Amino acid sequence: MWDAVFLAPSLIALVMVVILPFFLGIFYSLTDWNGVRPVITYLGFENYKEMFSSVDFLYSFMITLLYTVINVVLVNVVAFLLALLVTSRVRGRNLYRAAFFVPNLIGGIILGYTWQFMFNVFITNLTAAGSLIASKDTVILGMSIVNTWQYAGYIMLIFVAGIQSTPLEVMEAATVDGASYFKRVTRILMPMIANAFTVSLFLTIVNSFKMFDLNVALTNGGPSARFMGQVVNSSQLLTLTIYNKSITTKELAKGQAMSVVLFVVLVVFSLIQVSLGKRREVEA
Amino acid sequence: MRKILSLALATLFVLGLAVVPASAEIELTLYNNKVEISEALQNIAKVFSDQTEGVTVKVESVGGGADYSGNLTAKHTADQLPDIFVIEGDGDYGLWKDFVTDLSEEKWNADTTLAYLDPEGKVVGFPVAIEGFGLGYNVELLQKADIDPASLTSYSALKAAFEKLDGMKTELGIDSVVSMAASVSGGTWWVAGHHNFSIYLGGGLEFTDTSIVDKYNAGEVDEARLTEYANYVKLLFDFSDQTVLTTGTYDNQLAPFANQKAVFIHQGNWIDPSLKAMNVTFEYDYISHPFNDTQEHKGLYLFAPSFYVINNKAGDEKIQAAKDFLNFLVYSEEGANYMVNEAGMVPAFANITLQPSGGFSKALVRANAEGGNHGVYFGKLPAGTGQSKLAPIFDVFAQDHSDEGVSFLVADLTKLATDLAAGQ
Repeated sequence: MWDAVFLAPSLIALVMVVILPFFLGIFYSLTDWNGVRPVITYLGFENYKEMFSSVDFLYSFMITLLYTVINVVLVNVVAFLLALLVTSRVRGRNLYRAAFFVPNLIGGIILGYTWQFMFNVFITNLTAAGSLIASKDTVILGMSIVNTWQYAGYIMLIFVAGIQSTPLEVMEAATVDGASYFKRVTRILMPMIANAFTVSLFLTIVNSFKMFDLNVALTNGGPSARFMGQVVNSSQLLTLTIYNKSITTKELAKGQAMSVVLFVVLVVFSLIQVSLGKRREVEA
Repeated sequence: MRKILSLALATLFVLGLAVVPASAEIELTLYNNKVEISEALQNIAKVFSDQTEGVTVKVESVGGGADYSGNLTAKHTADQLPDIFVIEGDGDYGLWKDFVTDLSEEKWNADTTLAYLDPEGKVVGFPVAIEGFGLGYNVELLQKADIDPASLTSYSALKAAFEKLDGMKTELGIDSVVSMAASVSGGTWWVAGHHNFSIYLGGGLEFTDTSIVDKYNAGEVDEARLTEYANYVKLLFDFSDQTVLTTGTYDNQLAPFANQKAVFIHQGNWIDPSLKAMNVTFEYDYISHPFNDTQEHKGLYLFAPSFYVINNKAGDEKIQAAKDFLNFLVYSEEGANYMVNEAGMVPAFANITLQPSGGFSKALVRANAEGGNHGVYFGKLPAGTGQSKLAPIFDVFAQDHSDEGVSFLVADLTKLATDLAAGQ
């Protein structure tokens, strides 16, 4: 009886802001809801059909996948190298550890505008090269660099925790056996901290798919490009497409349908990744 | 201790219950979308509240890049739709048509031609201000280059002037002839997607002629006119600073004009306060947008971009108070002073004779008195068309405004008309 009372506040909050909206959202995605009109018509799967024949959506989906692949690789590689650095005996490693983490504390919007200035004004004036985010061919790379700069420090901490929990004897035994540093890292350390990889990969996949704030502030979807005979915004990731559909053009039901698809994709990707990752985890 | 505390809390609670229903005052909420006039509007609302017993007008503002329409929807969802709120044209009207009050009987209708009419011809929107644009120019720089702005009434004349100015860059100390921005990433897509495109929709036509935009919504384009227009856009883009054009923000676009590094600027009279803030002392004015050679272009592009509407679910008393407030804005000295001097707007009402101080606003008042102006009709396109469809089209064109780019621009705009007609 008391269990229920003490649970109630959290449960009510969870139901009101997560569970109820989730099912309402699925329902709205099957209608022509615009957020204002009280009359709602049931459309069945019309919104979904239209979405998969819309060039904007397909392009956005594709570019989000590409962005995710680049970022998962880039963030994890950089984070792992940083983790190796700050757990080695290099002088000032505690300072580095803090410094690498700091960008993660800056909000995505501020960071986006700061880097927009860096790319468009600072770097272009310094090197006389074109701005990375002003060309449709390099804008995803530009965004990935900023995202890595921001996010790698956070993932680094997870790797650091993993590395520090690895028993020292195993590494020492390998050293005695004459294994090189590279061998020790790839053959012993990496399998030992496979659980850290599982978590990090999961976080980076989800984070990349759901990227929004940096996208809005840094590029707002621009520059535009031509794709399948139509103009599209070359860096407009899925969440920004959903936002524009829902808020700018007031087609909330269509935006909602896209959210449902994003949800399904995200669930499928992370389930596959986590179950694959679990298999690689070993006990010391 | 705990007893005292709970007693105190209980007393507070009871007091709270007792106090709230005691005031029978009407509190009106006005939800304002122009953050730059927020303070002026708050002051005038206070003046009205002080003069009117039992009525308080509360002003809430959002804007300056924040999403007014999205916030308004959120307020509606929370069952807190303001008593007076803003709609911006047909797209918004379609969204809010169940919530607007008939204002046809209001006195101010006699003094304006810019009120918002619903499809049946009833007045439902109070025009907040006249805004408008033309091609802004720096008077001194044109004099130095010995170009008479009154002669720039055709495409060829403007092109010749641009070429002349381009050849005098070092003499005049300018970096580019025109300051234009059309970038999605810089957030200046509306300069091209809303205002520039309105030249195709209403340029050179009678002020109330909506034939081109109506056809556009029905999927038809006037091919010859569209090609002329596309070449005009090319002319503007060709003589613009390419960095500002493709990545520039609002400030990036204004800076070259304010610092006399560009002779022309494609912006509306709303930049007057910004130019003042940038310490502009030189004289500046508008010419029209001469996008072809088949007629003489002299008129400016005028419109009322936003309208106050009264929430019809607010209750009779509140609706009447809101109507009184709108009348107060038009017919009191304080109201006129607020519109022109405090908020720096060009009033849409003929009875107000105060003159604005900004150079572009003055040009609009002059043009409005002379007549022969053109309507601005991007608001007649479906909601969000500017940002979601036109913005990327102009952004792509800004990246490639070669002759091939022009044919792409024509094709893209033609395809967009077809898509709009098909409801996509």
